[in-house]
Amino acid sequence: MENNSRKIIVTENVKKYYKEEGITVKAVRGIDLTIEAGEFSAVVGPSGSGKTTFLNIISGLDTPTDGKVWLEDKLLSEMSGKDLSDLRRDRIGFIFQAYNLIPVLSVEENIEYVMLLQGVSKQERHRKVLEILEEIGMEGMEKRTPPKISGGQQQRVAIARAMVSQPKLILADEPTANLDQNTGAELLDMMRELNRKTGMTFLFSTHDRMVMDRADRVITLRDGKVEKDERKGQN
Amino acid sequence: MWFDMKLAWRNILRNKRRTLIAGIAIGVGLGAMIFTDALMIGMKDNMIESATKSFLGEGQIHRQGFRLTQEVEKTINNLDEIVSNLEKEKAVDRYALRTVTFGMITSPANVSSVMVYGIQPRAEVYLSQIDDVIESGNYFEGEEEREIVIGSGLAELLEVGLGDRTVITVTQAQSGDLVQEMFRVSGIYHFNVKEMDTGMAFVRLSKAQQMLGIGKEGHEIVLKFQEIRFATKKNNPFWSKYSGDQNEAVSWTVLLPQLEAILGIFWISLLVMGIILFGIVAFGIVNTLFMSLYERMFEFGVIRAIGTRPSGVRRLILLEAGALSVLSITLGVLLGTVVTLIFANVGIDYRGIEIAGTSIHEMLYPVIHIQQYVIYPVAVFFFTLFIGLYPATVASKIQISRALRKSL
Repeated sequence: MENNSRKIIVTENVKKYYKEEGITVKAVRGIDLTIEAGEFSAVVGPSGSGKTTFLNIISGLDTPTDGKVWLEDKLLSEMSGKDLSDLRRDRIGFIFQAYNLIPVLSVEENIEYVMLLQGVSKQERHRKVLEILEEIGMEGMEKRTPPKISGGQQQRVAIARAMVSQPKLILADEPTANLDQNTGAELLDMMRELNRKTGMTFLFSTHDRMVMDRADRVITLRDGKVEKDERKGQN
Repeated sequence: MWFDMKLAWRNILRNKRRTLIAGIAIGVGLGAMIFTDALMIGMKDNMIESATKSFLGEGQIHRQGFRLTQEVEKTINNLDEIVSNLEKEKAVDRYALRTVTFGMITSPANVSSVMVYGIQPRAEVYLSQIDDVIESGNYFEGEEEREIVIGSGLAELLEVGLGDRTVITVTQAQSGDLVQEMFRVSGIYHFNVKEMDTGMAFVRLSKAQQMLGIGKEGHEIVLKFQEIRFATKKNNPFWSKYSGDQNEAVSWTVLLPQLEAILGIFWISLLVMGIILFGIVAFGIVNTLFMSLYERMFEFGVIRAIGTRPSGVRRLILLEAGALSVLSITLGVLLGTVVTLIFANVGIDYRGIEIAGTSIHEMLYPVIHIQQYVIYPVAVFFFTLFIGLYPATVASKIQISRALRKSL
């Protein structure tokens, strides 16, 4: 890969085939893609188009059958499981469709979880948690547990958890799917704003029109291949 | 680590009912182990006491070979010196001299072979329980030299009662002549052990010495120590000290090897029971942890996705296993203690039961011992962690993308 600090993800002929009930499923059939730092992009496509598999591969959660993936300058296939864990911990933030906060931990504990894995001091963690809670408009709620807050608030906490350690890349899977339209729009605007402020790269997997409308770039997958790659002008 | 412990504890309490059921199941296993151990100690003490207190004593001194042949002339060598030394032994609580010989006992109705014991009635009170199990008559209370105390089975066989005459025939030591003496039955005992009730007869030591023609000598010194554990130590120098001059001093463990073997079997049965209980505990732990694991598979996918290493997941599951074991141990210790204390107060009635030739005379009381609160809880804790390794390893090896299939 050409050493270019602007490129955060580069994929080269990535393929993923797997067997399901004896039948070979070709989920990804050769994707060449470059995601640049600071992008606010969306991977879209119908169900079964390979969005989820592709995102799993670029985040090191799954391994490709063929092809190469670089995250910044790291070739994922050359990394051990432990190194991949550390890479995800330090460089990728995940936002899931169903929020997926740990229900027995408080809002503060959920947000500080990744920092704890990174070995950040208690005072520093607390400071950052309060700072990001203020940023997402949830100050004073740090002691509440996920079941005691609304779905929109849970997704805000999930965003805070993904962003608090300032990773280079945020991968968001259908982040608005479980939210009403207003809350979804509000959260997308918040993420857009954070993208502008921090320069973090956001990559969504989505069906949501609102996400596509706000994205700088929309990559459409169909049958495991890139069908369209549309870039918009900066808003 | 502290954070992981907090998380593990909260995870365990997430499904309180399931955790409580698993905790009770494991706790019942531990409680049963504690109670069984206490019962075994109680039974062991009871059997040893029953065996040694009945008549055997905690140790004996004889001439070498006497135990095998029971020849009349094999009296203890240097008896005076031995007695003098025993007087100075702080560990020795009581001792008494006996003569032991084969003999015939005859009544107008019947005849039987018996072991005729010449005893010192006053000293024997502290060393055997003949006086405690007198069924009729008395235990050498009179001054009459020709009193004989026999067992209920023998009395029945000879068809004799109190005051009836019997004739004892024994062989004299030096001449080998047969000697006969008439005795009146002054007491009948009932030990509830067939061999003792039908095969033994007790006369005064002086009369027995006279009949056997052995002067002031004797065949057996029976011993009771200040502390029974003193007798149980096989390498105790006491035994070698009194095993010189062609004499031998032996512990009850040598005199009654079948009892020691039975006690050994007790511990083996406890071990087998422990293995079974620990097996049940293992299934309980694995089941609980796996149910919890599969319920939260997606959550493990999430924590792995956000950067937790496989070792971190393994540690978390092991901490959950540890938390479950701490809860279970608390329940088990409480349960075991309560049950043991109840039975330690009311006792268990095994009286009259004969095991390995030993009749249980006393109520059986479980004995609480510190080992029950150290060995078993510690074993359960580490066993739980060991068993937890399996679900922990499974959790650490989950395929993250599969665990997250419903989302990213």
